[in-house]
Amino acid sequence: MSLALAMWVAALAGFLSLSYEILWYRAYAFVSEGSPAAFGLMLGAFLLGIAAGSLASWLWCRDGAASGDRTRLPPIAAFVLCANLASFAVIPALARIAVVANWRWSLVLVGVAAGLMGATLPLVSHFGISPDARAGSRLSYIYGANIVGSTCGSLLTGTVLLNGLSLARTANVLAVLGLALATAVLLLSPMGRLARGLAGIGLLGLSTGVTLATPAIHSQVYERMFDKAEYTADHPFAEILENRHGVITVRDGKVYGGGAYDGAFNTGLDDDKNSVYRTYLIASMRPAAGKVLMIGLASGSWAQVLAHMPGLDKMTVVEINPGYLDLIRGRPEVRGVLSHPKVEVVIDDGRRWLARHPQEKFDLVVMNTTWHYRAHITNLLSREFLQMIRASLRPGGMLYFNTTGSLEAMKTSLAVFAHGVRVFNFMAVSDSPLWPDGARFREAITGWQIEGKPVLDLSLPAHRARLDSLLGLIDTVNHPPVTLGLEGSDSLRVRLASTAVITDDNMYSEWFPLEPPP
Amino acid sequence: MNRIMVLAVFFLSGAAALLYQVVWQRALFAIVGINFESVTIVVTAFMLGLGAGSMGGGALSRNPRRSVLLLFAAAEACIGLFGFFSLPLLRWVGDLTLNLSYAGTFLVTFLSVLVPTALMGATLPLLVAHFVRGSGNVGRSVGILYFINTLGSAGASFASVLYVLAHFGQAGTTRIAAAMNAIAAISMGVEHLRTRRRPA
Repeated sequence: MSLALAMWVAALAGFLSLSYEILWYRAYAFVSEGSPAAFGLMLGAFLLGIAAGSLASWLWCRDGAASGDRTRLPPIAAFVLCANLASFAVIPALARIAVVANWRWSLVLVGVAAGLMGATLPLVSHFGISPDARAGSRLSYIYGANIVGSTCGSLLTGTVLLNGLSLARTANVLAVLGLALATAVLLLSPMGRLARGLAGIGLLGLSTGVTLATPAIHSQVYERMFDKAEYTADHPFAEILENRHGVITVRDGKVYGGGAYDGAFNTGLDDDKNSVYRTYLIASMRPAAGKVLMIGLASGSWAQVLAHMPGLDKMTVVEINPGYLDLIRGRPEVRGVLSHPKVEVVIDDGRRWLARHPQEKFDLVVMNTTWHYRAHITNLLSREFLQMIRASLRPGGMLYFNTTGSLEAMKTSLAVFAHGVRVFNFMAVSDSPLWPDGARFREAITGWQIEGKPVLDLSLPAHRARLDSLLGLIDTVNHPPVTLGLEGSDSLRVRLASTAVITDDNMYSEWFPLEPPP
Repeated sequence: MNRIMVLAVFFLSGAAALLYQVVWQRALFAIVGINFESVTIVVTAFMLGLGAGSMGGGALSRNPRRSVLLLFAAAEACIGLFGFFSLPLLRWVGDLTLNLSYAGTFLVTFLSVLVPTALMGATLPLLVAHFVRGSGNVGRSVGILYFINTLGSAGASFASVLYVLAHFGQAGTTRIAAAMNAIAAISMGVEHLRTRRRPA
C-alpha cells in the first residue's frame, strides 16, 4: 500500500466519519430537544469508539514490516465496509431505541461505528508508512489528509447534502460512498479476476439494497424520536421541513423546531392554544408599539399579532432559520406578516444582528424564546445579552421575553433592568417604571384588528367574557403572586434573592434546568 | 524512556484539547452567531488549524537530532499559555470581526485559533516519530498514541457536559485545561532532561 493510497483512504474515511457525525448530531439534538449535553455525549461516544478502534489496530499491527504490502488491503476494506453499515444504522436504531428505552443507549452503536472507522487511520498508517526516521513526517501527511477529508465532509454534507436532501437520503448517499470506498480498497488488493468480479458485484448489490431499503429503514424516524414511548404509526407529522439550518416539524397546528415546541398557528383569543394572550398583554404596559425588534419568528403568530398592534411604526424580525418563512407562506392565518408594509424579516443570528446594528434603537424588543434548557440558549438569556438589549432600547423602552419558567432568567432580567413585571412565564422589563393597567389594555384591545378583523368583538358575549378574564388576570398583579398570573418586581426580587444570574460564562439555565430535558 | 508516563501526558493533552474546543466554540458562537454559516466557519477553522499543525509536526519530526519530547513540552506550554488568556482574546477577536463579511470572519477566526490548534495537531506526528524510533512499528505506535489521546478527549467530552462546564463555567474550564497543559509540559520537559542525561 503506497503512501498516496493511504492518504486517499484516510481522507475518504475522514470525510465519511465527519459527515456521519453531522447527521448523528442532527438526530441527537432532535431526540433530546436540543439538550446541551447531547453533543458532548455523542462526541464522547464517538471519540471513545475511535479510541477503541485505535486500540484494536494496535493489537492487529503486530508485525513490523507491512508497508507497501497490498495483501493487507482486504482487512482495511472490511473495516470500512462494517464501519459504513454500522454508521448507516445509527439513526434508524436511535429512533427505534427511543421508542422502547432511553435514547442514550443508542450511543453504544455510535461508539461501534466510530470504532470501526477509527481503526482505519492506524491501519492505513501501518500499511502505508515505512518504520524509518521519516515515519512521523509521513504520518503527518496521512493525518493531514484525514483532517482535510473530515473538513470537506463537514462542509459538503452540512452545506450541500443536508440542504437538498432529507436526513434519510443523505445517510443513503454516505452509505453508497462508503461502500464505493470499501470496493475500491478491496479491488486494489492482489486477487484473482473471478474474486475481484464477485467482490465488485457483491458490494454493488449491497449498495442497491441499501438504497432501496432506505425509505423503509428510516420510516417515521422523526416521529419515533419525538414521541418516544407514545409513538404510534398512525400519527405522523403533517409537515417535515429539512434544510441545512435544522428540522422543522408540524403536527396538529403546532410547530416544533429541532424537536422542541416552537409555537402554534393562532392569533386569536378564542381558541388560545398557544397562550397568545401574553402578546396582547403588552398593551397593558405600553399604550403603543412604536419601533419593535422581534428575535425569533417561528410560527409567525406572535409577529402577526404585533404587526397589527396599535401605534406600530416599524417591526424588524430576526430569524435564524429561513425554513420558517416557507412554513408561514402556507398558512393563511399568519402569512400576511411576511408582506406587511411595516415588517422587515432578516435571516441572521439574533445576537449577532444586534451586535452589528448598535445604531438601531427600539421602543419594544420581544423574544418568544425557546426552552431555557436548550443548547446555546444562554446566548439569548445571559446578563451580557440582556445588557446589549438594554443598550438598544430608547428611553422608556421595554423588553418582553419568554423565560419558559426559568427563575434564573427572571432574576437575570431584574439584575439588568430597574423595573419588571412577570406575566405568567414572561418577563416585561424596562429602566422606566412598568405597571399593567386594565383600562389601558381595554382601550388597546378594542381597537386591535388583524387584517381588518377585530381581535375581540365586544358585541359577542363570549368575547366580553374573554375580555373580563384578561382584565382579571391583569388585576392579579395587585394581589399575592400566583404562577398563572402577573407579579411586580418588588415581590419577585424578594422571592428570587438567592437565585443565580445567568451569564455567558456560567450558562446556568442550560446546565441546571428547572425541568431536565428528555 | 518511560512510555507509560509519556502516554499519560498524551492523555492529558487530548483531554485539554477537547475542553478548549468545547469552550472556544461556545465563546465564538456567542460572538459570531450560531447560524449555520458561523458554525461552519468555526468548525472549519479548527480543523484546518489541526491539519496545518499535523504537517508542521511531521516536518519537525524529520530531524532525528531534535528532541521531540522537548518540542512536545514546548507545544503544550504554548497551548496552555494561550488557553489561559484565550477567552478575553477571543472576545477581542469577536469585536474585530463584528462588521466583517463571512469571508473576513473566517480569516480572522482561523488566524485567532491557528496557533493553538496547529500546536495540538503537531503533537501526534511528533510522538509517533518518537515511538517509531523505539519500536520500529508504525501501526502499533499510531494505534496506541491515537488511542490514548482520543481516550483523553472522550473522557473530557463526557466530563465537560456532565460536570465541568456546569460547575466551573467557561473560564474555569479553560483554567483546568491550562493546568493540564502545564502538567504535560513540565512532565515532558523533565522526561527530556532524564533522557538526555542517560548514558548512551
